[in-house]
Amino acid sequence: MRPRHWQVTVSRDRTDPARPEAAAPDSEDDHALVRACLGGHREAFDAIVERHQRQVYQLCYRFSGNHEDASDLAQDVFIRAYRGLHSFKGNSAFSTWLYRIGVNVCLNRLGSRAHKWTPVAVLDRPDLGAERADARLLRSERAAEVRAAIAKLPNKQRAALVLRVYHDLPHDQIAEIVGTSVGAVKANFFHALANLRKLLKSQS
Amino acid sequence: MKHLSRTEFVDLLDPFASLPEERVRHAETCAECRAQLDALRDTATAAREDGDAEPSPLFWNHFAARVAAAVRDEPVPARTAPWLRAPILTWGTIASIAMLLAVGAVWRTTLHAPSPAQPIASADRAPDIALSAPPTPDNADDDEAWAIVRAAAIDLNWDEVHAAGISAHPGDVENVALELTADERVELARLLDKDLKRNGA
Repeated sequence: MRPRHWQVTVSRDRTDPARPEAAAPDSEDDHALVRACLGGHREAFDAIVERHQRQVYQLCYRFSGNHEDASDLAQDVFIRAYRGLHSFKGNSAFSTWLYRIGVNVCLNRLGSRAHKWTPVAVLDRPDLGAERADARLLRSERAAEVRAAIAKLPNKQRAALVLRVYHDLPHDQIAEIVGTSVGAVKANFFHALANLRKLLKSQS
Repeated sequence: MKHLSRTEFVDLLDPFASLPEERVRHAETCAECRAQLDALRDTATAAREDGDAEPSPLFWNHFAARVAAAVRDEPVPARTAPWLRAPILTWGTIASIAMLLAVGAVWRTTLHAPSPAQPIASADRAPDIALSAPPTPDNADDDEAWAIVRAAAIDLNWDEVHAAGISAHPGDVENVALELTADERVELARLLDKDLKRNGA
């Protein structure tokens, strides 16, 4: 049997409080998987999906606001990534490249569409088990308000906020993803927070 | 001191960013900047409280299977663009096609070029068309131009012609007759006929 040189360990837990960007799947492993996939090992892409499905799904969820659309969008992101795998040059991290596809897919598909928000209470939130019902309801309502307000932000501000707040990405990586300068990303993030504050105030 | 810029506010929200000491001190002492920084921080905290969008644990296997099934229908991604996969073969083919097209274009413009402006066929211009083609042995007897030439040349004394300083060469008369228009030929025929009749031919 031919040895599978591209075989890598799949990391399921990406949360590293010390330094978020350090928690991203190992870039070398990603590059090896991409090379294997381009070499005809279709199953290497399954490993790529397994490594990145959480980040892609969560990105799509932040843009779409509901599970159904998020899973469809995430699938679309991976299919587009598979089709365009030959264009991945390896100059940036694979996750950056994948995020770029994700942001483009989400903004193109959802840019002009009204959002259908799913209350956060229906999601599996194991940490809410011990929470009192009224506190959970309040929290759920507040989260729904925040999501509705984020959905009203202009695209670039929304992208900057989602990638910074929910994905803990550094500004330079966000700049690479959205194709602007670090200064522009910081300005967009600043305006996103300022506008979000105004929107939340007006809602309450 | 100058208030904090947008970039500096964002840097102060980032626990890993570093600002010059005096700017950090300004953020701590300036009430206006402090209030704006707190407002931004509160908003970011409110957004973060939403937590991870984590679906059911069963979702991931289902999702991976869905993507794998969708990808199975796709062709295996190529290392390079398909049309560049075999550069020598591909560029060789492109060069051959280009060469054939070039040869075809040259052949068309030279060998197959249309003849210079042909008169448009019409009832009154019919003699022009008939006379524009050189006579062949088959149609020489029916050809009006040849009839004129034959009539003009039949009694010519070539010694007298040369003596008169006219150097006629074989074919010259035909060429002249072929250059004439229909009206000119009719007029030439009339003059020759008149001259022949006058000479008692």
